[in-house]
Amino acid sequence: MKKVALLTAAIIICAVPFYGQHFITKNGHISFYSDGPLEKIEAHNKQVNSALNIETGDMVFKVLMKSFVFEKALMQEHFNENYVESDKFPNATFKGKVVNMSDITLTKDGTYEADVEGELTIHGISNKIEDKGTFIVSKEGIHGNSKFNILLADYDISIPGAVTGKIAEEIEITVDVKLKKFSK
Amino acid sequence: MKNWIKVFVLAAVVGIGVLIYVWFFIYNKPHMNIEKATPDYIISASECYDHYANGNNNETLNYTGKVLQIYGSPSSIEKTDSLTVVVFTFSTGMFGDEGIRCTMLPSYSNEVSNSILSKEISIKGYCSGYNETDVILEQCSIIKN
Repeated sequence: MKKVALLTAAIIICAVPFYGQHFITKNGHISFYSDGPLEKIEAHNKQVNSALNIETGDMVFKVLMKSFVFEKALMQEHFNENYVESDKFPNATFKGKVVNMSDITLTKDGTYEADVEGELTIHGISNKIEDKGTFIVSKEGIHGNSKFNILLADYDISIPGAVTGKIAEEIEITVDVKLKKFSK
Repeated sequence: MKNWIKVFVLAAVVGIGVLIYVWFFIYNKPHMNIEKATPDYIISASECYDHYANGNNNETLNYTGKVLQIYGSPSSIEKTDSLTVVVFTFSTGMFGDEGIRCTMLPSYSNEVSNSILSKEISIKGYCSGYNETDVILEQCSIIKN
């Protein structure tokens, strides 16, 4: 009976990708920026969930779209109602992997380049992305940074006809997370 | 003054008025002042969390995008470089404690200390939804009875 219980526990552990030593934050910062002929658009979300399994390199981000704050209230309304339809698609997610996790020495302070690939889902549309990031390892944890561009059309986010050509079709996304060791 | 000049001047005044209105009250309209807003719902923190965590979509739509006033006993306070977050914990998952995370307005950061833990308090904020681990309330203020 004891063996069955142990075997069951082992199967459950293997099935859960985030079992094992992982680092988390719920206060990650993601911002985006676009510079179109009509106007510059910038928004910040400082309540991003992120987790990194340092044994497997699995990495997850969960971003609540309504938590993006814009300088102008009108922009924020348009973003939520017309562009990303945040009532229908409240969260954006990234599920992927740091493929060179074995090159990152978490026991030694330093700056490491991280090769990240995975699936980014925004507005209900998923696309594979590959990009590079930086991990700064210190006693406080892992400080991850990355910057990459996405095309709005890849996520079925359409620009209203009246402002087509005046708002950038590509946006730059900046990720800044301070991950800390998770212990229950 | 000739009639056409009067019409022209009137049209110009109306046009400028419309432009001023659009510029200040539509294009540059201020963000909602959550601290002064009347709450759409007053509910307990546990009731609020249950609505989202149990996955009832209709209930979810009711609270998301609304001003909520919740009451309950907070379990922890997190302070980062730029945020002070009061946390009501109801569960534990992949991202650690799960519950309601209330991001305080900067003017309330100093008011939030460990002395509020385990005491019943009321917090008002804008509910931006559920990220599958926590309900997020923003621009929060403490309601004093």
